Amino acid sequence: MTTLIRASAAQQQGKPLRLAKRVLGAALIAAALVRAISVSAAESYPLSFWAAQTVNGLVLGGVYALVALGYTLVYGILLMINFAHGEVMMIGGVAGFFGLQLAAALGLLGGSSLAAALGLLLVLSFGMGVAALTGVTLERVAYRPLRNAPRLAPLISAIGASLFMQYSVLLIFGVRPMVYQRPPLIADGIRLGVVFIPLTGLIIFVTSLLLMGSLFVIVQRTKLGRAMRAVAADKEAAALMGVDVNQVIAFTFLLGSALAGAAGVMLGLHNGVIKFNSGFIPGLKAFTAAVLGGIGNIPGAMVGALVLGLAESLGPSALGIPAEYRDIIAFSVLVLVLVFRPSGLLGGGEVEKRA
Amino acid sequence: MRDQTVRRFLRFVALGSTITLIAACATPTQPAAEPTQPPAAAQPTQPPEAPTAAPAPGVVVVPPGGKIRIGGSFALTGPIPDPGKDIRQGAEIAIDDANAAGGVNGFLFELVAEDGACSGDQGTVVANKFAADPTIVAVTGGTCSGETFGLKPILQRARIPFVSPSATNPAITSEDCDVCNRVALSDALQGEVDAEFVYKQLGLRKVAVMHDSSDYGKGVAEIFRDAFIKLGGEVVAFEGAQVGDTDFRAILTRIATNAPELLFFGGYSTEAALITQQMKEVAGLQNTKFLGTDGAYTQQYLDTAGVAAEGAFMSYVAGDTQADKLAAFREKYIAKFGIEPEKLGPFHAQSYDSVLLIVDAIKRVARVDSAGNLIIDREALIKAIRETKDLAGITGTLTCSPIGECGAGGVQVFTVENGQFKQVYGFGLKQ
Repeated sequence: MTTLIRASAAQQQGKPLRLAKRVLGAALIAAALVRAISVSAAESYPLSFWAAQTVNGLVLGGVYALVALGYTLVYGILLMINFAHGEVMMIGGVAGFFGLQLAAALGLLGGSSLAAALGLLLVLSFGMGVAALTGVTLERVAYRPLRNAPRLAPLISAIGASLFMQYSVLLIFGVRPMVYQRPPLIADGIRLGVVFIPLTGLIIFVTSLLLMGSLFVIVQRTKLGRAMRAVAADKEAAALMGVDVNQVIAFTFLLGSALAGAAGVMLGLHNGVIKFNSGFIPGLKAFTAAVLGGIGNIPGAMVGALVLGLAESLGPSALGIPAEYRDIIAFSVLVLVLVFRPSGLLGGGEVEKRA
Repeated sequence: MRDQTVRRFLRFVALGSTITLIAACATPTQPAAEPTQPPAAAQPTQPPEAPTAAPAPGVVVVPPGGKIRIGGSFALTGPIPDPGKDIRQGAEIAIDDANAAGGVNGFLFELVAEDGACSGDQGTVVANKFAADPTIVAVTGGTCSGETFGLKPILQRARIPFVSPSATNPAITSEDCDVCNRVALSDALQGEVDAEFVYKQLGLRKVAVMHDSSDYGKGVAEIFRDAFIKLGGEVVAFEGAQVGDTDFRAILTRIATNAPELLFFGGYSTEAALITQQMKEVAGLQNTKFLGTDGAYTQQYLDTAGVAAEGAFMSYVAGDTQADKLAAFREKYIAKFGIEPEKLGPFHAQSYDSVLLIVDAIKRVARVDSAGNLIIDREALIKAIRETKDLAGITGTLTCSPIGECGAGGVQVFTVENGQFKQVYGFGLKQ
């Protein structure tokens, strides 16, 4: 439905405007490319630098991808942006912090590698579980009562829920950041020539791929996945065919939130701290990634997230500008992609309707 | 359907922005209206003839039994909540002491604590609140430089004097601001001493400079950079991050290509700690030294950075601490709050002295009228604070300069050894 509206809106804009937009966009991209080539030639960073920045970008992209999937899943089914999703991630991170404390107190993390790995897996599952529970509750309390309300209502409700979660965590756990004590098992990293890959970064990337793979299998190959796709295509028709729409939507939130919870725990392990507003910026970036890849599209979310992560880490050096402008690069990429492909990198009429 | 929603949304936004506009216009007009009167009106109309009439603007009248209200802007939330809390508690002890000594002519003091959140935006909110409250006599704070830049223009217009215990950016005090004062030492000094320490004491010639883009962090980083270049050193990178960032690997990777011998960071505890940690994960920075500033001279830095902090340097704008006074202060502090002040932050003694400075000046200008009200003319108070001379505080003998620099002491540099700060350079170092 949205694609149709977008397409017709694009037609209404008329040819001259569209042409101007595209010429401007192409000029910007060309300028950026020329600048990138001249800068990389002039400043001549060593190859190891680009390799290290690519690693940074992929890790960042992996985190964005896990969170972006939640946005895209919910949008695919409800055509609604769950703006509280970043906070679900943060709550997963907070749960992971306490899980880690508990595991450490039980002596799980200091012992043998196997016990430590098991302990970490438990911590991760705990964070995912708490986040999943939060997501399902969020849907039940903040979104389900508004399902037939105008589309603006659940959006406002989402923003309210986001603030509610942030400040609840602030009131309960205080403003001081929670410090993840990285267990010795994953404290070090791998040295590939001159490039150093922190183990936590590697874990983030691999886990992201694994979780996304399993998500894809769930959505495409299982009965529940088929039900999800049916609800995404047409809620009423799916209900008439005997699909329990409420259950499917709750399940969607459960899946998306569990992934966000995993992202929260891994972000905590990788970067070291979680606090009440830790979900806000990653949430915003992940939403950007989802739109960039084509919101509603699962592989799109992943591609969008990796593109965004790489743009942020490679962009400033490639364009020879200060690193503090990385967000400008990220959002410029978004704008440029939307100029040429309003439905995102992988979004398209058909694909978008699929979850 | 969608058009309708959009139109409804636009209407909603329009309504919302109108309300915001009205609110935004309403707040500043109050303080703006006040200062037009006092300079001319305060002195002549005030004397005893008209005690019952409405007081002239800028003159605070405390009725018998009322309290003398001192505002406080503290960074209770934001990037450095622990130091913010410490500073508030230091101020409370000072208020307690002033009251125990009998207050002023029997009138007791009260601290009106607000959360300045270490941000300019929130500083503005707090300042507007104080400016709109005719019972506020003076303000202690803000904690951070950005926050204090939020306070400065509003309090200047409202003619309310303030004393900051911990805002170190040089531009907090200036020729054109007669209400602006501070006990903390300016970063103009800290940046220079840090540069000297790196160049002369450590003998390093090639450094990278990073900051958190806050008024404080960027300010001190620029001073350090300029001072280091002036000494003859080389600054190979000058990069900004953001307060609240947690992943600095991309910036650090970039800095590593220049192989600096030391990384200077102007900013607060959490960011400093994460940078210290992540430097160990970036090829080329594993052996690079780290130097942070007073915003990160905290227990929170040590807790967050853990073992990665070993060997890191941290500078601090120390007062000329009076050991006996500090001991008495700590005793009261621990008895009241059940925690050692150093566990929270470094600026508790400066905070005590900020309030002391205000209280001392109030004692000099306050008088009681025929109806038994305590009259405090804020214009006179602004001058009285500036005239402070040889006031014995915890952080030394306080004398305010003509632009409001009231602190005593010097810059110290510490290193982290076995999870604790140990002084290695600078003011008051005993060899």
